[in-house]
Amino acid sequence: MFLKHIDLTTALRPAYLPDEVLLFVQDHVGLYEGKYKIPHYQNGHIYLTSHRICYVDNEDPRTNSVAIDLKEVDRYEFYAGFLKSSAKITLVPKPPKRSSVQSRVAAKANSPSRSATTSPLSRSDSPFHPPVSDPVPASTATWICPICTFSNPVPSNFDPATASLRTPLPPCLACGIKPPLAHVLKAAIANATNRPTQSPAPTRTPLPIRRNHDAPRPQSEIWDGPSATQPADDSQGHTANATGGASFPCPRCTFLNHPSLLSCELCGASLVSQDIPSELVKPVLRAESPGPVLNHLPGPGMENNESIKLSFRAGGEKLFHERLKGCMTQRKWLLQGAPPVPKPNRLSTPENGLSIAGVSEYSADKVKTVGIAGLEQRRLEVQKNNELVIGNAFEDLEALMASAKEIVALAESFAAANGGNGSSESNAVANALGLVTTKDMLGGGSNSESLYISELSRNLAEFLTDDARGVLRKAGGIISLVDLWAMFNRARGGVELVSPLDFEKAAKLWEKLKLPVRLRQFKSGVLVVQASDRTDDKTIKALLDWLNDLHSFPPDKELTWDWQLFGRGVTAQDAAERFGWSIGVAEEELEMAEEKGALCREEGIEGLKFWENWIDDSQSPSGTMNTA
Amino acid sequence: MSTNLPLPTSVPPADPATSTIPTFKFPRDYHFPPFFTRQPTLQTHHAQLQKWSSLILSYCRSHRIFKLSLIDALDTDLFWNKRIGKRMSLADVKEVVEYMRKEDRAEWVGGKGAGGEGGNEVWVWWRTPEEWATAVYEWVDETAQKNTVLTLYELTQSEATLSKEFHGMDSDLLQKALNILVKRGKAQVFGQEDQQGVKFF
Repeated sequence: MFLKHIDLTTALRPAYLPDEVLLFVQDHVGLYEGKYKIPHYQNGHIYLTSHRICYVDNEDPRTNSVAIDLKEVDRYEFYAGFLKSSAKITLVPKPPKRSSVQSRVAAKANSPSRSATTSPLSRSDSPFHPPVSDPVPASTATWICPICTFSNPVPSNFDPATASLRTPLPPCLACGIKPPLAHVLKAAIANATNRPTQSPAPTRTPLPIRRNHDAPRPQSEIWDGPSATQPADDSQGHTANATGGASFPCPRCTFLNHPSLLSCELCGASLVSQDIPSELVKPVLRAESPGPVLNHLPGPGMENNESIKLSFRAGGEKLFHERLKGCMTQRKWLLQGAPPVPKPNRLSTPENGLSIAGVSEYSADKVKTVGIAGLEQRRLEVQKNNELVIGNAFEDLEALMASAKEIVALAESFAAANGGNGSSESNAVANALGLVTTKDMLGGGSNSESLYISELSRNLAEFLTDDARGVLRKAGGIISLVDLWAMFNRARGGVELVSPLDFEKAAKLWEKLKLPVRLRQFKSGVLVVQASDRTDDKTIKALLDWLNDLHSFPPDKELTWDWQLFGRGVTAQDAAERFGWSIGVAEEELEMAEEKGALCREEGIEGLKFWENWIDDSQSPSGTMNTA
Repeated sequence: MSTNLPLPTSVPPADPATSTIPTFKFPRDYHFPPFFTRQPTLQTHHAQLQKWSSLILSYCRSHRIFKLSLIDALDTDLFWNKRIGKRMSLADVKEVVEYMRKEDRAEWVGGKGAGGEGGNEVWVWWRTPEEWATAVYEWVDETAQKNTVLTLYELTQSEATLSKEFHGMDSDLLQKALNILVKRGKAQVFGQEDQQGVKFF
């Protein structure tokens, strides 16, 4: 299934896969399946990561959150929006697993309305609704004739996986010379790999149209009948119906031409029957803005090849499109699970200019030399390898993208080597902070500021509740906002720092977003952060339990008062040590407890001490003891 | 001394009259160090004032103190628990007295109302003047001394009143009590300074 349910973090953000990088966030996004709105998926955040597109619903994030793996996306199309209809990005899933070329042919042969494309025709067969955007012809692969350099189409039934020398190949359309098999094979493979990144428009070949009047062409016999001729015929039949006769309107001058004509009789504009310029028809199609709503969600087992549309109701579509384009090009998901870097074998690839023999020599040496010489040898080897990796990576941008994983690993190892003496705390924190939202990740629209704040707020909540880092736990469950701010910015390594104002705003949003942390203000005005299940009552109870314990533990030195009755007074420092709080927090907590009447204070030469409240009988432990 | 609480080792008598009274038993709170620090929390502070007020009253009753000099009292056991090394500050004591004044359990000597800031002496009403007046009148009634003239000295210092609470009462306080009786028309005070006499009806 195209849409997959996803897990969310405590902060209601998608849980990322290893190596996954957040690229973009936009709120107020709705989902469509094909032409229909998907119920309950109409208002949420969309997260574009290097691997997925995640939708997190605003209303019920836990149940209504889905993701689309980018690797399953065949193509994506952009629709800019018109009048009341919002901008949309259509994601076309890859057809079910098989050789891509063949399956597309099959799909085309079975359904004239092209269910594999984005066209809404699949649900409404009205001929008035042409495809939203130009469909990709069955085979866009071309091979260039080595003799006359004419661009020939690769036959649609040509499957690079099964092709052999005996596969019949059509001769060049211009010079009639048969191409070598390897040549066509290469072209087909190149096409298949380039496919997702191609934008459909420029790759269209004139082929399907020409076929109609160039009837006696050798290659049409080779193509299997239905797939080659039927789509063209079909579409022409549709257009004929649409215009109410056997005529075809010129898109430029509206002259009704005979359907078999290639160019307009009157103005000479080319008549492309399948390709009625989508811009002309879009407004008609999109005029009805609140689209129909799907009654049910596609079941998990259903083989559903319907395209998914993201409707950007509050803008941000352009940036999203840009980023999507970028990550579809980079295809980071291919790196996932790739073997880790500095392997000597890596050097053996021919592009690196090192022969396999060289590598085997290396390994042979390694086996032989032992002791200090062996260590030195290994160091040299590693150094050389690093040089190579860096050198290759920075040769050009593409190479850098390809070797991103190695470079990152290398950088990390350098950082580890250099930062060994640095503060381990901030390092540990920094590692896990790769997925922090920054301002440029967010979409436009009037509310981009508030979106930034809310994302930052979620980020912070994640940062705080992450068990691996245990920020809150280390601070005794409570940390002052200023400390947190410093820690957070330090963890960001000096890049994309958060301003105190934004930080405070983000912290104030926790309660609204129902996140598991809360901001608390002490009466002195100090803002602290703590888990939302930590209430004052719990804190007071912990304090009193502690003070109660002091009744039974004999003191270190002789005390002048009856410590078995009254216990002992504690300073803020004692409390800080006991609960792992910072001194400031301990002071505030003690004063909070005092204000609630649970504690009372004693000012003396040893400083301010807090005691169980024996003064106020309604609060004092003796009161409870007496009743017990 | 039938207490399990450790008590101050010695309570020096603040007044000669205390010689007849056994050592004053301080309440439990007196040994609680925070008791000597002003509590900022309203409710706790209120409880603290109440406890101090009752402590002062019972202390003064036990020691037959009618007029308390705050400055002197600060150095006594009342406000200085030498065992735990804790003592009240003058300001805090004044606050307690002010609280007592509002509760009609004390009055600044010389000044009426809150204007007694400057004064360091305070009447402690462990009996109010009305109560004193009644007590004196009842004693006179019991001993059938109505319509006889008694000197003020006789009332407070004679052996006849030794068992009474107003024995050894400050003459100013006695004057106050008698004035109340005068207003009620049950006594008449006459005579010169230091040589005053009173006649009960």
